[in-house]
Amino acid sequence: MDLKQLTDIDAVSGNENALRRAIVEAARALCDDVTIDRSGNVIATKPGTDDRLPHVVLSAHMDEVGFMIVGYTDDGLLRIRPIGGIDPRVAVSKWVRVGKDALPGVIGAMAIHLQTPEDRQRVLGFDKLYIDIGAKDQKEAERLCPLGTYAAFDTPYTPFGDGFVAAKALDDRVGCLSLLRILENDYAAKVTCAFVTQEEVGLRGAKGAAFTLQPDIAIVLEGTAANDVGDVPARSRVCEAGNGVCVSFMDGASIADRGLFQTMLSLAASEGIPHQVKRAVTGGNDAGAYQRTGVGARTVVLSVPCRYIHSGASVAKLSDIDAQYALAHAFLNNL
Amino acid sequence: MLIEQFLREVTALPGLTGNEQEVARYIADAFAPLADEVRVDSMQSVIARIKGDGPKVMFAAHLDEIGLMVTNIEKDGALRLGNVGGVDPRILPGMMVKVLGKQALTGVIGAKAIHLLSAQERKANYKREDLYVDLGLPYEQVIANVQIGDLVQLEQRFVNLKNNRIATKTADDRACVAIMYRAMQLLKGMRPTADLYFVATCQEEIGGHGALTASYGIAPDYAIALDVCHAQTPDAPRISTQELTSPALGMGPYLHPVLRQKIVDIADKINVTVQTDLMRGRTSTDADEIGTACGGVPTALLELPLKYMHTTVETFDMRALEECARLLAQVASEVTASWGDELWT
Repeated sequence: MDLKQLTDIDAVSGNENALRRAIVEAARALCDDVTIDRSGNVIATKPGTDDRLPHVVLSAHMDEVGFMIVGYTDDGLLRIRPIGGIDPRVAVSKWVRVGKDALPGVIGAMAIHLQTPEDRQRVLGFDKLYIDIGAKDQKEAERLCPLGTYAAFDTPYTPFGDGFVAAKALDDRVGCLSLLRILENDYAAKVTCAFVTQEEVGLRGAKGAAFTLQPDIAIVLEGTAANDVGDVPARSRVCEAGNGVCVSFMDGASIADRGLFQTMLSLAASEGIPHQVKRAVTGGNDAGAYQRTGVGARTVVLSVPCRYIHSGASVAKLSDIDAQYALAHAFLNNL
Repeated sequence: MLIEQFLREVTALPGLTGNEQEVARYIADAFAPLADEVRVDSMQSVIARIKGDGPKVMFAAHLDEIGLMVTNIEKDGALRLGNVGGVDPRILPGMMVKVLGKQALTGVIGAKAIHLLSAQERKANYKREDLYVDLGLPYEQVIANVQIGDLVQLEQRFVNLKNNRIATKTADDRACVAIMYRAMQLLKGMRPTADLYFVATCQEEIGGHGALTASYGIAPDYAIALDVCHAQTPDAPRISTQELTSPALGMGPYLHPVLRQKIVDIADKINVTVQTDLMRGRTSTDADEIGTACGGVPTALLELPLKYMHTTVETFDMRALEECARLLAQVASEVTASWGDELWT
């Protein structure tokens, strides 16, 4: 699978079925041991040749932020709530796909002409936003999209600029892509690639994978927020798209194992892999789950900088995704 | 051409206010087989004529579209933005756009990330000045392709929703250009006697400039402007909105009551449901400029209800569009010189 195929599939947290099926199929072509665990994670294991080496789990999450249908208006619009963290200010006038039939819909809002000066100031919260699929009344809307139906951003995968791509769900299909590339290789150590569920709603899938796999080392491959454009002062730039894979010393969910952190930096330097250190303690990801489930594991996070993360059009540089893969690959080759 | 195909193609073309050449050329070519003569005037309005011996009647729907322009280029390549027409800045964060530089470049509209905003800033909407286009290019490549004043076209898609509803950019007002196109098709099977002018006007979004010069060029006896009006959405005041599913006719001092009544009577006769859109003054459509051109032109306003006006997901009902076209064609075929005797009685 390539990044376009990975981002074209909708997998809002709790509804990863379509992506899980596609990843199972892709992984089985590369690996004999592919299973689905009790948390819905896809677990692909390569046994390795040297059992003195530590068992390494590489993990990326399948799920993406999106919406759930929680009600209706009389005239057939769908009331929504976000699944995962979506700033409501990025939702207005965007395209979405609703439910398993991928019904096209739009997120509309009252026209600017009808807004009062106060309206223009006020952020439209999710209590004021809705999806319009063209249903003529509440009854039709309920029939087409029962309560609990999932909806995802609908953004075509678009390469642009100098090696950049805009798409939905780059967080964390970039990690899924790197895992599939890892599965193409054979390593001396036992390596497990875990494609996990429900990261965006509380690191839930990874807890199941961590408990079942009990890795010695867990490396989480992520997308992380970059804010490097638009006259942002240097001190506020957490990481920069185009400067390589981003290694975190700490985030909101875990502190990296110091040894792994240093190993990653020196490996990247010696192998000539573009890299940067994440320069703030923000966000949180599955490393927190791997570090503290069961007896725990040593963890580190390798991220691809993503601009406009959690919006319908996130942006990443393809060379940063290559660097993420290259560093994970180099680590496994140098255990 | 099927009306939906025309709509799909015409909404995709760039035609920001003041730079309508490309879409004007397309519309002129599409109108040509349906008219006796077609010309594009000095402002970029398209004027298609179906010749007749009767009174001159002008129909006008605007072809220009709102968008953005580049007002500054930051040292990191980010493009700062100004308005072309009234773009609601709330729709912009996370939108994909085309920057019409030396070549068309894809970009994404970004904003200061939420974790850099103060608690106070998070409570307010992003202002246009806070936003930028990210072209994914280093500064040197940006300035080689883009200069201040270049136009930025908003994201274009064309999507069929349920119940014959269509969501697209620039339904305002190319859906009404499509109404004229469809009416011209219908008139092929009718016998109009009036001298008919179908005008796709430029520069409406900054004040009916194209409609004004087109009116002076034609000097019509009557005019019907076509534009979109607000369809009902949950938070909008009911008094300012119409049902999505049928045409509306404007009513108020800027619009001629007798001409309006003629249209209502014809609609009754052919069973077209027409709503009434009350306007206490300016209509903010081409009707305002046409009405006072050439010493005064009795003007009516036929409207297609539209949800989410001035966004990229403008949504309308295809059946309402068809009904507008059916009504327009019937009116065009029934206009006679005798209407003039009734105007001020």
